[in-house]
Amino acid sequence: MMSRISGNQTGKETNSFRKEWKFSEILAERGVRERWEKVRKYFFLRESTYDMSNRCNIRCEGCYYYEGDKQFAAENKNPDSWRRLMQAEKARGITYVVLAGAEPSLAPDLCRICFKEFPLGSIATNGLKAIPADINFKIHISVWGNDDTSARVRSAKNMLIRQIENYRGDPRAVFVYTFTSNNIDQVHEVAAILAEHGCKLTFNVFSAPVGYRGDLRHTPETLGETRKAMMDLLTAYPGNVLFSPYNAVAHTHRKGLHDLYGCSYPRRNASTDIGLGRSFRQYRTDLNWDRAAACCVPDTDCDDCRHYAAGSAVVTARMFRHAGDPQTFKSWLDYVDTYLSVWVMDYHKGANLSDRMAAPPENEIF
Amino acid sequence: MPMKTNIEEIILHVARVMIDELKLEDITPEGFDPDIDLVDEIGIDSMDLATVALVLRDHYAIRIEEDDYPKLTNVRLIAEYIEQKLSEKSVAAAN
Repeated sequence: MMSRISGNQTGKETNSFRKEWKFSEILAERGVRERWEKVRKYFFLRESTYDMSNRCNIRCEGCYYYEGDKQFAAENKNPDSWRRLMQAEKARGITYVVLAGAEPSLAPDLCRICFKEFPLGSIATNGLKAIPADINFKIHISVWGNDDTSARVRSAKNMLIRQIENYRGDPRAVFVYTFTSNNIDQVHEVAAILAEHGCKLTFNVFSAPVGYRGDLRHTPETLGETRKAMMDLLTAYPGNVLFSPYNAVAHTHRKGLHDLYGCSYPRRNASTDIGLGRSFRQYRTDLNWDRAAACCVPDTDCDDCRHYAAGSAVVTARMFRHAGDPQTFKSWLDYVDTYLSVWVMDYHKGANLSDRMAAPPENEIF
Repeated sequence: MPMKTNIEEIILHVARVMIDELKLEDITPEGFDPDIDLVDEIGIDSMDLATVALVLRDHYAIRIEEDDYPKLTNVRLIAEYIEQKLSEKSVAAAN
């Protein structure tokens, strides 16, 4: 049959005769079958997110939390209210919690209550205040450039070394480097320091909040430079960098995640059909949530969304459309393997099955 | 014993695939209520359904469109969907 090639390096779409693969044939390769069996054990994960405080000890340019109206929700600090919320969440099928905005480390007792109810979860933090060791969630520490840049855009001095001091050797910790349009070159310096201290590193791509007018927003050129830096570091620090070539493609594509894959979060998926659109909620600090805003990073401009947290749900949910040929499916498996290693305690990433970039289904490579 | 209709065979096969792929315990294909809501009563999610859909795609050599997932809320509806696709395929082949 005539069909489009969707997995070449050049991104050129050509018409040619192509084998139509069965799923069983794709899984026939031993390494693929093993990785599939490894990741599918985690298909039970169903997330929701929770703002733990409306305070933060630093203020960063482009911060998602301080956009929109969620920042104005009152803080509910009542432990019983949080415990009841967590129990209700469990009862409706949630299996994974993401504790976020504005700064969860300022509400450790509430984080602890969440952990006692949910064995699986993660905390997004700026890393300046250590989260107690008994809260055994993955901890995502945000890095927005080298220390000079952090001092400028986050008003925090010696940020990286303070983050490392708090989390060196901590198996919970993953450093998340957010590529903006003007910190791309600095990632090499940051990655070298993190690798020297044995820290794990993954990548995020700045996704502009709605109405953002600053200079951090990416252009096609900076997305290309970001992709190259990601691939270079994947090669340079394979033991430290949790990423894959397909992650690089998905998050630095000219099209955002919604255009590439169809975002399944309630904010863009108004239906209550099976999947994330049905189960995901994003709770504010007053323990209310708004279906029209519910998204892993609310107030992001959806057309510009390349956020790592969004991709972790949006790309992984699109298994079916990646199961058309072995190369694309391997790339998807690498993405899922990466996502699980970043988000799930005691899950260890394997070697990537594919060392080359594949185009997202029905799209060009860039 | 009366001969099973084609839809009954498909229902049994879909139920077997569900049980095998999703490792459902304490249930046989024959005991699988084809009208039970897969999402609300069994807890099947979109990833589970995608897995089952890929295996069924292989077995019946038909396309199961991702956009059609929301319609496939129980085993009977999946079986009827497959039957419809098989019918369209045989008509296309005859032409």
